[in-house]
Amino acid sequence: MATPLSLNTDRGVDGTPRVVAAGEIDLSNIAEFTRALTDASAGTRGPMTVDLSAVKYVDSAGINALFDHADEVDRLHIIVHPLLFRVLTISGLSEIANVESAQASPREDNDI
Amino acid sequence: MLQTSGYEVSAVADGQQALEAIHSHVPDLVISDVMMPRLDGLQMLAALRNDPRTSALPVLLLSARAGQEASIEGLLAGADDYLVKPFAAAELLARVRANVELARLRNHQARWRTALVDSLQEAFFVCDERGAVIEINTAFTEILGYGPEGLPYEPVHPWWPDIDAEPEAHRQVETAFRQLLDQTHGAFTVPITHRRGHRVWVAANFNHAEDPDSGRRVMVGTLRDVTAEHYIVQRQTALASLNQQLAQADTLDDALHGAAEVLLRVWQARRVAVVTFPRTTAAESVTPELICAGDPTQWVDLPSRQRQLIESLDDADLLTTATAEAGTAGIALQHPRGVLVVWVELSEQRPFTPEDHTLLTVLAGQLGQGLHRVHQLDAQRETALALQHAILGPADLPGGFTVRYHPASRPLQVGGDWYDVVDLDDGRVALIVGDCVGHGLAAATVMGQLRSACRALLLEQSSPSAALAGLDRFAARLPGARCTTAFCAVLTLGTGQLVYSNAGHPPPIMVHADGTTVTLDGGHGLPLARRADWPRPEARITMPARATLLLYTDGLVERRGSSIDDGMDRAADLVQDGRSHSLDEVADDLMSRLEPGGGYRDDVAILLYRQPAPLEMKFTADINHLAPSRAALRSWLAQAGVEPDQIVDVLIASGEALANAIEHGHRDRPEGTVSLHVTALVDRLHLTVADTGAWKAPRKADTNRGRGIPLIRGLMEDFAIRSNDAGTTVHMYTRIT
Repeated sequence: MATPLSLNTDRGVDGTPRVVAAGEIDLSNIAEFTRALTDASAGTRGPMTVDLSAVKYVDSAGINALFDHADEVDRLHIIVHPLLFRVLTISGLSEIANVESAQASPREDNDI
Repeated sequence: MLQTSGYEVSAVADGQQALEAIHSHVPDLVISDVMMPRLDGLQMLAALRNDPRTSALPVLLLSARAGQEASIEGLLAGADDYLVKPFAAAELLARVRANVELARLRNHQARWRTALVDSLQEAFFVCDERGAVIEINTAFTEILGYGPEGLPYEPVHPWWPDIDAEPEAHRQVETAFRQLLDQTHGAFTVPITHRRGHRVWVAANFNHAEDPDSGRRVMVGTLRDVTAEHYIVQRQTALASLNQQLAQADTLDDALHGAAEVLLRVWQARRVAVVTFPRTTAAESVTPELICAGDPTQWVDLPSRQRQLIESLDDADLLTTATAEAGTAGIALQHPRGVLVVWVELSEQRPFTPEDHTLLTVLAGQLGQGLHRVHQLDAQRETALALQHAILGPADLPGGFTVRYHPASRPLQVGGDWYDVVDLDDGRVALIVGDCVGHGLAAATVMGQLRSACRALLLEQSSPSAALAGLDRFAARLPGARCTTAFCAVLTLGTGQLVYSNAGHPPPIMVHADGTTVTLDGGHGLPLARRADWPRPEARITMPARATLLLYTDGLVERRGSSIDDGMDRAADLVQDGRSHSLDEVADDLMSRLEPGGGYRDDVAILLYRQPAPLEMKFTADINHLAPSRAALRSWLAQAGVEPDQIVDVLIASGEALANAIEHGHRDRPEGTVSLHVTALVDRLHLTVADTGAWKAPRKADTNRGRGIPLIRGLMEDFAIRSNDAGTTVHMYTRIT
């Protein structure tokens, strides 16, 4: 069984590229996730947003892809589920990217 | 002239020859010149007088020296008569006759004594105070081969066993000799070497006496040839100890160990090896099994020459001794699984005597019969054990259950108590503990039938009350089963819901994670088959996360002179104290701390369960298994009562370890497996991720995974990685609330 992950790329209200993911990110689908990030920034270093508020699990492979992408673009904005906030903090990602907890998100089911 | 007068005369040339002749055959009278070559007459006379055997021998000195002085000198030296040359033949004859007659009269007592001593059946000897043998009789010569011509025999006596070839036998004689010198009387049995070289065992008695003439201390002794008796006794003693060893042996190996030790003692050997050559089919070659006593060794460590010798016996005639080198002998005999070769290496460099060969043959024959008997008993014992274990129930329990069982009647391994855990295959497990009346074999046979019946009933209809009602009907028709008590429950593993019914059994104890203790008092009914129309009620309870359940039989808690409530309280306390310990530790604590002085007198069975049962997963090393394993762990953690935010931490930490195990451990071996084991104690989780590959430290270049270890470190309380040839194991701990 492959790890469930859905990926959508669109633009935010300010026009910056945005990747919205739902499901889980691990070693088995890391290639897909990385491709979605690369495609969204489309070779530019412009700011972008990665919305992971519907992602229930991210392993170090996913965190690594985010690290890599933070180096590729000028300003990376990451929105995560509150339960995953600590993990991204421990990894140090919050020091080089703007990591925000999706506390306010009403559509999020907390049953993780 | 003397000859013609009827005397037997032997003539010698000088004093020295005279002494030698006299020693080998003591004459009635010695006639000697004073002037002789080598040893003159006076010196010879002095020697004769100094020797206790010849001190009274009449001596007639002849001398050319006339005069009173010379004559007095001769007489003072101890001569009986003195004749000055030249003398008349008639005078010599008259003096000889007179002296011989006189000596005969004088020596009558002495000769009478000698005749008596010689007529003794037993060997007789006299030693001087230094232990030199100075007098022996005919029987002595017959037994030891040493005659009077060699007297005196100075210690070390020539019949002592050789100190180099037979140090032990030599030591025995030396000890006996010291006893002879130091004690006023005594007895001993020792091995000695006959003049012709063979071994003789003699039993001696000795007494100290005083020579009335000289006043010197002498040792007088007799000895008997006990060689035949010695070997009979040795054989019987050896057979008796061999039989004792064989009787005590439970297995063939036990018997072989025991037999090797007996043989080692019998021969005071350096080493005894018993080598089994199993019967093999076709050309298959099997290493012989070697058991050894004394100097330890392995088959492969034996010199190849010795291995060949032993192997050659495998093909030789059975029960025929063979000896190749001095000090070693072997014999082949029937072993229930093939041929056994017994190989004895003496510590002494002496040859194997005919008696040794006889003894080895006798012992080997006995050993062969004994092994056959032990083999039969062993087979019966194994059958009995297998049947007992079958009666007792499953050896492999589903994960999360721990049992202890103590039968009251040794050596039986079963009694009237039982426990059972039946996997109902729908996420539910049935738990049963029961107690038949009495203990021992009779109770065990009833127990076995009830246990099987209950299992069948539960598989048919998974309701505890229905199972006990069925068991009521079964027990009513089984002699000895009436009044059995039993507790039967069905547990839903996922929810911890427990449905139970109790047939007169002590109520199980449940201890919550916070230490709260409850007894499962509901669902109570009568013991089995007491009243046909009595109801079998059922009760329900839910086991919260990390609660511990103890099912037991009364043997655990009942004590003479104290209430069963006291015992139950003590058991509950121990489970409470053990909330942060593994179930195995709790079970050991219960069994040891509740054991009355002198041990349990009744059967005891206990069954422990902690909700939820540990999570055990094993899958092939493939990243596609990551998500399902995570899903299973997520729901298990919820069952274990772990808070949602901590669930994520645990999922990520274990996910990192699993990904490492899959990616690094099995990069080159995709067929490898990865396992995950998680246990919940009251205040902490223990996770183990194990793989069958080799751990590879994260490389800098391999940035994809390099952040895994810091993540685990950040999320877990503690973790450790152990790697060896069999694989890598990651242990992780974290506190839970």
